[in-house]
Parts: sequence; C-alpha cells; structure tokens
Amino acid sequence: MNAILNFLPFISGTVSFALAAFIFKRYLERRGAHQLLWGIGAVCYGIGSFSEAYYTSFGWNPLAFRLWYLFGAILVAAWLGQGTVYLLAKQKWANVLLVILILGSLYGAFRIFTAELDPAQMLAHPGNTGELSGYAIVTPGVRTLTPFFNMYGTITLVGGAAYSAWLFWRKRVLLHRTIGNILIAVGAMLPAFGGTFSRMGMANLLYLGELIGIVLIFVGFLRATIPLKVAASAQEVAA
Amino acid sequence: MPPKHQYPPLYEKLVPVILGILAITLAVLLIGIVVVVLFSGAR
Repeated sequence: MNAILNFLPFISGTVSFALAAFIFKRYLERRGAHQLLWGIGAVCYGIGSFSEAYYTSFGWNPLAFRLWYLFGAILVAAWLGQGTVYLLAKQKWANVLLVILILGSLYGAFRIFTAELDPAQMLAHPGNTGELSGYAIVTPGVRTLTPFFNMYGTITLVGGAAYSAWLFWRKRVLLHRTIGNILIAVGAMLPAFGGTFSRMGMANLLYLGELIGIVLIFVGFLRATIPLKVAASAQEVAA
Repeated sequence: MPPKHQYPPLYEKLVPVILGILAITLAVLLIGIVVVVLFSGAR
C-alpha cells in the first residue's frame, strides 16, 4: 500500500505538467496574463510533486528538498492565485501585487537555497509520517515566510474561484464556468487539508490530497473552458 | 453579455450549498494558517 501511495507524487507531477502545457497553449493563442501566471503556478506544482517523488523513490537529497520547499510549499498557491488576481482585479493593482510576489519569491528562493538543513529534525518531529516537511530547515526565519505566501495564495486562488463561481451563479450565466470554478476552488484546498491530516498521523494523505487536488484543478480548467450544453428542460430567457 | 439561462434544477439547489460550504472551509483554512503563523511560525 505504501509503495502505491509513494508513487502518487509522480502522478501528481505528470498531471501538473500536462495542465501547464494545456494552459501555456491557451496563453499562446490568447495572450492573457492570467493564463501565463496559472501556467507558471502549474509548473511550480509539478516541480514540487516531482521533488516529492524523488524523495519517496530515492530518499533524502538537499537539492530536491530545497526545490520541494520553494516550489511546492511556498510558491505554488501564490502564483496560481496571482493568475486569478489578473482576472478579477484592476490591472494596476494586479501589476503591483505581481511585483511584490516576484520580489518575495526571489527573497524566498535566496533564503531557502542558503538555509542550513537537517533531515533528522524532520523525521524526529512528532507527527511526521515519513513525508517531507519544513522541520528539516534549521536556519531560523525561513519557514516563517511560508504562511504569508500560502495565505495570499489561498485567498486569491480559492477565494477568487469561489467568488467567480458565485458571480456566474448569481447571473445564471455560463454554467460550465460555475462548475469549473467550484472544482478549482475545491482542488486548491485539498493539498492544505491533506497536509493537516498527514500531520495528525494519517500517513500519506498529503500526497493523496495533492493528487486529487491537481486532478480537480485540471478538470475545473477544462470544464471552465468548454461550454456546457444546457439541458433541454432549462428555459432560455433573454439576457 | 452571454446568453442567460435558468440553471438546471439540480444546479440551482446544489451550487449555493457547495459555495456556502466552500466559504466556511476557506474561513477555517485561513484561520488555521493564522494560528500557524502566531503559534509555530511555519509549515
């Protein structure tokens, strides 16, 4: 069973890069800033997942850990959420927030790649069930960065998708986008809850949460981009 | 403006329920992150 669960990050990584390819293709066709940022976010998800896959297959590696922590634990939600910001906020504010995000990401990268690591701290921590965790970072102040990125990412990605779904539902238009945004919001929350359950001793729920999360996000993107045939029973009314 | 439809009855009932659950879950998640910031400082 563990062997199967340990394989999940590899599947998550593959799905993430497939999603990134799908989004970048749409970006090349339509040139929307939000698509470019979502694509970058999906690449972050993929790098984080493949770093986990490396750890579950080959064990500890400092570079794999640093890549996992930077892309998988810090940047992914914030960059995906930044795409949603470009969709919902005024361009001027979106640009300001993007500059802050880029500077914050560079600072985070610097701190993580210069941090002192000790994998024994991670494995010895109560509640660790064998997965990667930030407790391996010994240098103070580095892990403090993570919640700020994740707070921003959660509000913008989950909140933005839920808000979009509500807007479409309230106007009773574009049902496919209502459904797509709900799937994206649910999918974006699952890795966070998987991590919480994992820390409560339910082994590998982090990896399962990440896999179901990226699959739901992918299905949500597909659903949101392909119009739904409204059931014949639904009455069409004038816009 | 895209054409306006009535949503199918199932979606009329389900969507607000799901959005309500999502809003509550999001609030719990954000409170959880704040608690992490205040009490342990990290993931």
